[in-house]
Amino acid sequence: MTESLFHKITPRAIRVWQWGNSIGNLFYFIIPAGYALFFGLEGHHFWMVVSLTTLFLLIWILSIVWMPYLTWKNWRYAVDEKEIDLKRGVFIKSRTLIPLSRVQHVDTRQGPLLRWYGLSSVTISTAATTHEIPALDAVIADRVRRQISTFARLAEDDV
Amino acid sequence: MSDFERQHPVAAVSRAFTLIRGNFITILVFLFVGAQSENFPFLWWIAGGFGFLLIMGILNWWRFLYKVEDGILHIKSGVFVRKNIYLTKDRIQVIDVTSGIIQRMFGLVRLDIQTAGSSSRQAALEAITREKAKEINWILREDAESASGIGLSFDSDTVPAEDSITIKVPYKELLIAASTSGSFGIALSIIATIFSQLEPLISESEYFEYLFSLLPSQTDTIMIITIIVIFVLFAWFMSFFSTLLTYGNFQLEVKKKELVVSRGIFEKKRITVPFNRIQAIHVTEGIIRQPLGYASLHLESAGYGDDKGTGSIVLFPLIKQKNILPLLNEVLPDYEKELNGIKPPSRSLRRYLIRSALPVSVVTAALYWFLNFNIFIWVLPAASIFWGWLKYREAAVGWGGDIFLMRSRRLSKSTAYIKKKRVQDATIIQSPFQKWRNLCSIQMYVASGDQGKSFTVRDIELDDGMKLLDQVRKNGRIDYLFSEDDINKISLPGWA
Repeated sequence: MTESLFHKITPRAIRVWQWGNSIGNLFYFIIPAGYALFFGLEGHHFWMVVSLTTLFLLIWILSIVWMPYLTWKNWRYAVDEKEIDLKRGVFIKSRTLIPLSRVQHVDTRQGPLLRWYGLSSVTISTAATTHEIPALDAVIADRVRRQISTFARLAEDDV
Repeated sequence: MSDFERQHPVAAVSRAFTLIRGNFITILVFLFVGAQSENFPFLWWIAGGFGFLLIMGILNWWRFLYKVEDGILHIKSGVFVRKNIYLTKDRIQVIDVTSGIIQRMFGLVRLDIQTAGSSSRQAALEAITREKAKEINWILREDAESASGIGLSFDSDTVPAEDSITIKVPYKELLIAASTSGSFGIALSIIATIFSQLEPLISESEYFEYLFSLLPSQTDTIMIITIIVIFVLFAWFMSFFSTLLTYGNFQLEVKKKELVVSRGIFEKKRITVPFNRIQAIHVTEGIIRQPLGYASLHLESAGYGDDKGTGSIVLFPLIKQKNILPLLNEVLPDYEKELNGIKPPSRSLRRYLIRSALPVSVVTAALYWFLNFNIFIWVLPAASIFWGWLKYREAAVGWGGDIFLMRSRRLSKSTAYIKKKRVQDATIIQSPFQKWRNLCSIQMYVASGDQGKSFTVRDIELDDGMKLLDQVRKNGRIDYLFSEDDINKISLPGWA
């Protein structure tokens, strides 16, 4: 076996990220607002504010329409008896390998937004780092958590 | 000892000093800002601050209670929030006895008790008598000694056991270490702060003016240069002496189950590292030390290191490059040390150069054209290109049966040895540009204190990155050997 079986994460994650980004990224508009407060709207400052606002509006819209989809599309995870394998990243792609014998604990977490969509995230902690598989269906997340902790216990034994 | 006891009252003072040291930067900033305000006398700031810390120290001491019962050390601490800490005998890995200046003035010792978890950092007894320390140690280790290898010995009056090797740093190397130490920048900032405080006093005094009239020329440039030179010399002296005091009497003891590092002239420090807690070792060659042929050795421990929570421990402050391998062979014989490795391919040189030169060049260009700086400022981008080339030259990864070697350079060149079974996770990262050139960066994490420490090598061949991940997966079994015609193959670590 060279490649373990990779799973995608639940598509409802896209909705969660859309909501999250649409609220969270509103903070970008503080920048043009702050500029307007500081320099006023006279002369070229007006155009500066307009262009900044347009720019951040564009980013905001893209972060709702496009980014969540791309993030979802690029996420893959695989769990087997030996290791956890995570692939992610829209522009900068990364692939992380966590040997199961290094896993210290696994939790599932659920914020209000995730709960609304019946999702939860799985957090994997080692002695050095913490990784998260975001937004899995609550049932699947629980299964993944149980799977990881079972495998981790088994892996512990052969070290 | 079945009743709760307080520590020796000296603990209150020592605690206050710890607080001062822990918040040193904050205090500096406060002094810096505080002195600017005219209406509030500067001395009041200092007096008030120290008074507050002393009260905190006393409260802490009053509320800190401990007892040892049935092989359990029970500590109650905290001024407002009460914390109960229980350390059981079989969980305790190491008991370290040290004594700082304050403790030694009163014939006391400090007891550090380390367990596997991170909570043990709060379980230090700041100041207790030697007899009490012996008693606690005796109760807590009784029969645990054979099981978990607890070692306790008091500094200065120990006779090394027969099966241990003791290695000391020669006096000459200690002086070299002190004169090339990197704590220079910190010293410079401290002096700058002090100077900013004294500046109004100095510039008004006639003595100062007299001093300047002695200088050969009165032009502003020369005066500024003189001041800078004085500052730098001063900072160098400070870092020289602080390194000398920290690493004086350095001694590394290799025992059967653990390493014991003891150092310090006034403030003695003893760190015990059981072998099974060592996560990685790395050799650092600083920019001044490398051309002189010197390096320093560090190790990452899972349990305990400095007060900041990282597990980095200085294993040896300064050593000749050619002596590194013999020393490591003696100290850590179970580490494979000479391996085959691979360098980044030559097409990644361009990325190394751009990455280090581009930001510097942009800033330089802005300074040159907008602020009319001297043309000599273009030395900086030239230097950064050279630096990028150095980084490219040093970057390498290698592996053997149970070990990884990662070599890279930031300012100093660092060569890390990581046991495969100590790798907490490994990641390969690929940016769009790297994807285009079929390269990737690899990052490995090991545990260090209660955090992690990462080692990164950038822009290696994507295939090699995948092979490395595969090595992590195999966890000890080697099945990829370097092919004979691999052009990037080198032998590591490359001091010989």
